[in-house]
Amino acid sequence: MISIHNIAKRYRTDEVETTALNGLSLEVKPGEFVAIMGPSGCGKSTLLNILGLLDEADGGQFLLDGIDVSRYNENRRAELRMEKIGFVFQNFNLIDELTVYENVELPLLYNGIKAGERKKRVEYVLDKVQIMHRRNHYPTQLSGGQQQRVAVARAVINQPAIILADEPTGNLDSQNGNEVMQLLTELNESGTTIVMVTHSEHDARFSHRIVRMLDGQTVAESVLV
Amino acid sequence: MIKNYLKIALRGLAKHRSSSLINILGLSVGMAVALLIGLWINYEYAYDRFLPDYDRVYRLKRHYTLDRVYTSNAISLPLVDLFKNDIPGIQYAAEADWGGSAHSLVVGDKKLYLEGTFVGADFLKIFQFPVIRGNAETALSSPNTIILTASTAEALFGEVNPVGQSIRFDNQQLLTVSGIVEDPPANSTLQFHYLIPFTFMAQNMDYVRQACTDWGMNGFTLFVRLAPQISYEEIAPKIENLLTQNSPKTRDTKQKLSMQAMQNWHLYGKYENGKAVGGYIEYIRIFGLIGFLVLLIACINFINLATARSSHRAKEVGVRKAIGSKRKHLIFQFLTESFFLTSCSFGIALLMVYLALIPFNSLLGSQITMPFRSPSFWLIMVAYISITALIAGSRPAFYLSSFNAVQVLKGALRGERSAVMGRKILIVLQFSCSVALIISTFVIYRQLQHVKDRPTGYDQNRLIMSDWSEDISRNYQALSDELLKSGLIESVARSSSSATNITFFSNIDDWAGKQPGSLSLEVAAITISSSYFETLGMQIKSGRNFRDQLESDANSIILNEAAVEKLNLKEPVGQTITWFENQPATIVGVVENAILGSPFRPVEPTVFTPKGFYASILYRLAPQVKTQEALTQLAPIFERYNPSYPFEYEFVDQAYAQKFQLEVIISKLSGLFAALAIFVSCLGLFGLAAYLAEQRRKEIGIRKILGASAAQIWVLLSRDFLLLVLISCLAAIPIAVYFLENWLEQYNYRITMSPWIFLIASTLAILIAVITVSLQTIRAGKTPPVKSLRTD
Repeated sequence: MISIHNIAKRYRTDEVETTALNGLSLEVKPGEFVAIMGPSGCGKSTLLNILGLLDEADGGQFLLDGIDVSRYNENRRAELRMEKIGFVFQNFNLIDELTVYENVELPLLYNGIKAGERKKRVEYVLDKVQIMHRRNHYPTQLSGGQQQRVAVARAVINQPAIILADEPTGNLDSQNGNEVMQLLTELNESGTTIVMVTHSEHDARFSHRIVRMLDGQTVAESVLV
Repeated sequence: MIKNYLKIALRGLAKHRSSSLINILGLSVGMAVALLIGLWINYEYAYDRFLPDYDRVYRLKRHYTLDRVYTSNAISLPLVDLFKNDIPGIQYAAEADWGGSAHSLVVGDKKLYLEGTFVGADFLKIFQFPVIRGNAETALSSPNTIILTASTAEALFGEVNPVGQSIRFDNQQLLTVSGIVEDPPANSTLQFHYLIPFTFMAQNMDYVRQACTDWGMNGFTLFVRLAPQISYEEIAPKIENLLTQNSPKTRDTKQKLSMQAMQNWHLYGKYENGKAVGGYIEYIRIFGLIGFLVLLIACINFINLATARSSHRAKEVGVRKAIGSKRKHLIFQFLTESFFLTSCSFGIALLMVYLALIPFNSLLGSQITMPFRSPSFWLIMVAYISITALIAGSRPAFYLSSFNAVQVLKGALRGERSAVMGRKILIVLQFSCSVALIISTFVIYRQLQHVKDRPTGYDQNRLIMSDWSEDISRNYQALSDELLKSGLIESVARSSSSATNITFFSNIDDWAGKQPGSLSLEVAAITISSSYFETLGMQIKSGRNFRDQLESDANSIILNEAAVEKLNLKEPVGQTITWFENQPATIVGVVENAILGSPFRPVEPTVFTPKGFYASILYRLAPQVKTQEALTQLAPIFERYNPSYPFEYEFVDQAYAQKFQLEVIISKLSGLFAALAIFVSCLGLFGLAAYLAEQRRKEIGIRKILGASAAQIWVLLSRDFLLLVLISCLAAIPIAVYFLENWLEQYNYRITMSPWIFLIASTLAILIAVITVSLQTIRAGKTPPVKSLRTD
């Protein structure tokens, strides 16, 4: 599903150059649930952004479903994101001016799905994440856990093959965190590939495999199932 | 998808109410100003274009060379037959008098004193004013007939059909009504209340009979309609030298003919060197530019506030990109928002213009309306909204959509530095326009005051003038005696010109000391009675006044100082000159200069003569009498000696003030637009200052904890803005000077622009900007630091 080889990423400011990824390689199989762990600044989020085609690597190869997407332009990357990838962020990143329903509906609008089909799919997903009763509320009217459930609903609405989750429970209490992790597990069980960045050993245990990073490289892997 | 964009836009507007209000209000004012000016420009361009075949109608122009090339509409009558018969390609030609002279029309006990025109038989074939009654083909064919406009007909005859009825004209002839035409609209160059066949003039007025064969009597106009498919370029060479070919005496002044198309009469009235070089069109261009600038200033507010608030939208951009939005979708989204906001502003602008039209029309004397029912108006308005939305929305759309998703989702906004520089440049652009408009307002106002304060050389106080008539001509002595006897009037005189307009010009051909080969001097010629100078309060500088007995002074003239100076006469009194058809005349006196024509031009060299025709009676109220009472008592005296005319009069000071009408309008409009420009600019500054103070809230809090005073915070937040306004002032000055020098050039009597004007205008702009910014920055300075830090 995902295959990266020798990926490098450096950030430059006027005076400082920081190496975020330093020749990193990783394989993720279809249907796999991979957790990426490591100390702050080790390059976890950078890796996730590159996997999500939000950022470009400075070197190396990135194969998605066997196709080299490293040199894709922004328009093709946007299309791929829409078709194949769903994102879940630590700080939810919902649009405050849109209701729960409208936030979840947004990817379908970009995908050109007709109104009737949209309604059906949004209601189905909202029901699945148990937030249907708050469909007309705005994000600021919801608790953190509820907001993250909406974010998960939005991530899966286009039925992506991959979900990339960046510390999905980082802003949640343990009960809400568990609920979100349960949701991700269910998605994975239904066939969605998940790559999750996390600081939490507890959350990582929901995955099949834990990849540990340090200074932009993978340093250890442990298979849980 | 558009529904989704509009939802976001609407909710964003509601969430950020104050900045939305600033955006919408500023854009509404900008759009209203541009729309109002646009409607006015459209009105001015539509002048004379309401008539069918207007593009085939021309007016003859005569060019003659004295010290420079002069251009005049005045032509001589022998040309008329040439144009009617001898020039192929000319379908119709009609002569006309100068127009604008008033005559009395009496039906029963109804007396009107109205302006009309004497016109040739083909006039209505050239100018196809809609004929309500009568036959356009024949209505002007017999001399003792009259065509009335609908309003004149109603005033004289009420509901009765006037065709075939008689009207007593100037208490002398009976004219039969041969037709009714619609009133000329306000944007018609030709204005009249009635038309009388030119043949009537030729039959009843000696000078017209004489003029029919005299190539030198240029007191008429000629209108022409070209045959279909004939261009002016084909006609021009055939007419150019008609005068010099037919009249040897026109060769001295190298007289040439050309024609001006009707659609250019109103806008291109100014001729230089025999060519139309401008006129009213210059005001159209200037105000067109002002309209665009005020709109641009409003668009800049939109751009600046949108880019300044970009951090509020950054997360949304990041999220949309993460879930698959392409950049073009985002650009389209932000342009949709701009279009939505512009449409809201347009609605408000439309209402503002609708309300402003009444005072605007009364200021300009125009009849501008909103063409709500015209589909082309709405099409143009859609284009107007779209273009405005593009100007206002493009920069924010391209800027916001360029955000990197990863960075904005992380909360780090890159590229702020270039946005800040862009904002600063736009603020300088805004304030440069505003300051240039303020400077222009000051200069226009000062020029107006300068000319108004110019000494006129005579006393306008309580001086009144009325038009001359045949009856007054017959009864002048008795009328004048009775006026003086009444005690209401302290002095009375008659003259061939009113006190504020010179209507007749002639040439002085020879004088003592004239250099051989030098040209004649064109002078104003005014026929006066001996009481004229006393009545107007003009001082005789040397020599004497005319005697009461005309016979003994038949060949005497009095010059004004300007004429003496032009002729370069050292001892003028007693010298003889040759003027007006080679007549010798002796200078018996020199009178001081007085502005009897345009107050913007140098005093015309003038010859006063006791011989000729009269057009005005001038009289000054006695000092002790009350004006209104005097006028009430004067009416029966005038009616007794001038029975077929209503008593009509004009105060000289009011007639003189009319001369500044255009300048007063320009001054008021530039003041209004400058005020609106600075208002809209400050609105933007206000919004920006509020936003930047909010953005620097944490910094302000820390600085205050470290001991910064409220004043220091005020300086910190205000100085950047003030520096920009200062730069704007420096940029505005050369731009304003360039335009204003061009504008002032048209006036011979004008101010020089002193540095004080620039200093005052700049200080004013800076002061307004300081107050605007301070409204926000003082508040930021006073906020307790704990609050700033806690809420961060």
